[in-house]
Amino acid sequence: MIRAIDIGLAACETCELVVRTGPDAGVCPRCGEPVHVRKRSARTRSWSFLSAAAILYIPANTLVMMKSDSISSHREDTVLSGIAFLWSEGSWPLAMLVFAASVVIPMVKIASLGVLLVTTGERSTKARHGRTLLYRVLEVAGHWSMLDVFVVALLAAVVQMGPFAKVDPGPAVLPFAGVVILTMLASSSFDPRAIWDRGKA
Amino acid sequence: MSDETFSAPLVQRRKNGRPSAVWIVPLIALVAAGALAVRSYLDTGPTIHITFDTADGIEGGKSQVRYKNVPVGKVTSVDLTPDRHHIVATVKLTHGGASIATEDSQFWVERPRVGVGGVSGLGTLLSGAYIGVDVGTSTEEQKKFVGLEHPPGVTHDQHGTRFRLTTTAAGSLAPQSPIYIQRQSVGSILSIDIAKDGKSTDLEIFVSAPYDHLVTESTTFWNTSGLDVTLDASGLRVNTESLATVVAGGIEFGVRDQAPPTPPAKENTLFRLFPDYRHAMATPDINALPLEMRFDQPIRGTATGVNVEFEGVHIGEVLAIVPDYDEATRQFHFDARANVYPERLGRAYTKLVAEGSRRGLSGPQMLQSLVDRGLRAQLKSSNILTGAYYIDLAWFPDAKPSHVVTKDDVWVVPTERGGTEQIQGHLESILAKVDRIPFEGIVADLDTATKHASTLLGHLDSNVMPAMQGVFVHAETAMGALRESLVSLRDNVAAPDSEIQQSTRSTLEQLERAAYSLRTLADYLGAHPESLLRGREHGAEPKGR
Repeated sequence: MIRAIDIGLAACETCELVVRTGPDAGVCPRCGEPVHVRKRSARTRSWSFLSAAAILYIPANTLVMMKSDSISSHREDTVLSGIAFLWSEGSWPLAMLVFAASVVIPMVKIASLGVLLVTTGERSTKARHGRTLLYRVLEVAGHWSMLDVFVVALLAAVVQMGPFAKVDPGPAVLPFAGVVILTMLASSSFDPRAIWDRGKA
Repeated sequence: MSDETFSAPLVQRRKNGRPSAVWIVPLIALVAAGALAVRSYLDTGPTIHITFDTADGIEGGKSQVRYKNVPVGKVTSVDLTPDRHHIVATVKLTHGGASIATEDSQFWVERPRVGVGGVSGLGTLLSGAYIGVDVGTSTEEQKKFVGLEHPPGVTHDQHGTRFRLTTTAAGSLAPQSPIYIQRQSVGSILSIDIAKDGKSTDLEIFVSAPYDHLVTESTTFWNTSGLDVTLDASGLRVNTESLATVVAGGIEFGVRDQAPPTPPAKENTLFRLFPDYRHAMATPDINALPLEMRFDQPIRGTATGVNVEFEGVHIGEVLAIVPDYDEATRQFHFDARANVYPERLGRAYTKLVAEGSRRGLSGPQMLQSLVDRGLRAQLKSSNILTGAYYIDLAWFPDAKPSHVVTKDDVWVVPTERGGTEQIQGHLESILAKVDRIPFEGIVADLDTATKHASTLLGHLDSNVMPAMQGVFVHAETAMGALRESLVSLRDNVAAPDSEIQQSTRSTLEQLERAAYSLRTLADYLGAHPESLLRGREHGAEPKGR
């Protein structure tokens, strides 16, 4: 299979115009953005963002996400205890949705990005199509993991009724938002073209 | 190959080996996560276990632990003890609350409580029960506690002093019952225990500062529980402190009027709790003098606790009454054993003692000298209504000489018959007089009088009534005439077109005109006083209104 890099061609990452590449890096004649055959220091950035996300993933899930007070009760929920509460209250679809969006997606994202980075680092030639597909799915699904942060932000803004009912964000909100943003940065700095790089000789 | 030469410069590598600046990001994340971890570690304190009898109101993961209503921890789980007799609440304390896990801290479940003294814990109706803490002064750490079933009567931060009381009349006192001085609540009962011998009750009380210094060594405590209804020689007395004490009981303390000032009592001083105010205010009974009195008459209605009085002063009480039989005289006797407190006589007693020592007389000899002068014990009825008795030590100068006998440190005082028998005698004489009243004669007289009255009524009926009837007829005629004249009067006078009405009206009109002229004249004279002398000026007409 012929790759663009083999015949001295590269696609602009912004407007996707295919340009001829020389020994020096140039800019896209159509949109003026720099054109790289491969993104600059893609692996380094991706790895750093991913590791930062992995670190923040721990406080995001162990600390309190939402504090809710009502006249008769005071609750402090982490993401998981909130899901457990929803489940025990009988809101199974909602519990599953939150579980998927807040727990599964970030975790799968971090894990699969890790897999992609490791395999491209090793210049693996296995399942290149599958890995490309995985990357595309990550890009699309990753947007949805901010759900929890939005829910808390919305509730905290709306439910402020003094002593009767009150919702406050907990300390886990910032690390959680950090996880989501950092995984997005990590996946956008990853260069899927590296999947197709030649295997080790 | 050409591919390798093209691709070589494009795959970027750090030539100087310096790490990329982008590694700052995970570093920051690491620091942030570390800071969060440290903070959350610092926020959590130790875990403690508290044992309670029941988990009523406590919920794992929800109930809080509060000190002075500040949350210092949270119940994470509630489990049964292995022997299933109690429950164990596992509490995770906050970092700030870590210091409450000390040896002398006390835990209890704060629930809504409605007592006679008031209502507490109303806030927990909505918020649910929580575990209250009272932190002690110890710094010794402890992780396992036994919770109290009731809030402690006094917390460590309350200033005041604890005292101990002992009594045989605890009445309706209960823990939390108030302590009063001058009818103001200044403390409460902490605990009530039966003494080891089961014969008295020991109380621990707390008097809060600054009133605790009012408890001096000569202070007396008395029970104000309930209604103090006393029926004794002085009659019926009802006394109560406040409505709360009627139900919940209470203790009041004070100082006897004549007591000399004494320093404030030390913590845990033991006091005697008197059953009521009178007992508390009575002169302290230091020396009990056991007396025995032998009465020949039956002491019906007399019970233990009967007063012994001397010259009207209540100086002692009867302890027991023992029936006895004298084989020599074949008669029944009743021995009244009493404790007499001669100090209650005050100065009289001190003077008697002084006189006795001056004359070199012992106690029984001194009493003998009084008996020689006629001192005898006598049963007297104090209240005919209730049949209450008292023993009076009174003077009978004419009594037969008698001797004071001493047996086993008990002095036997000679007695004099009387009291009830005198009353019986009086009653008998009254009855005899009643008996002598000639009821039959009186009844016969009454009969005659009734007959006379009946004859008189018959006369009235036959002679007076017909005459009265004539009078009634005349009166009726007179009334008719009167009505007629009144009607004609109304027609002539009251009708609007009657002559009198018309003439009256014209007279009134003339009067009105005359008054108008007078007013005009007065006005003119007011404006022109000189016209009185000079007459009316030409052209100056008096202006009427």
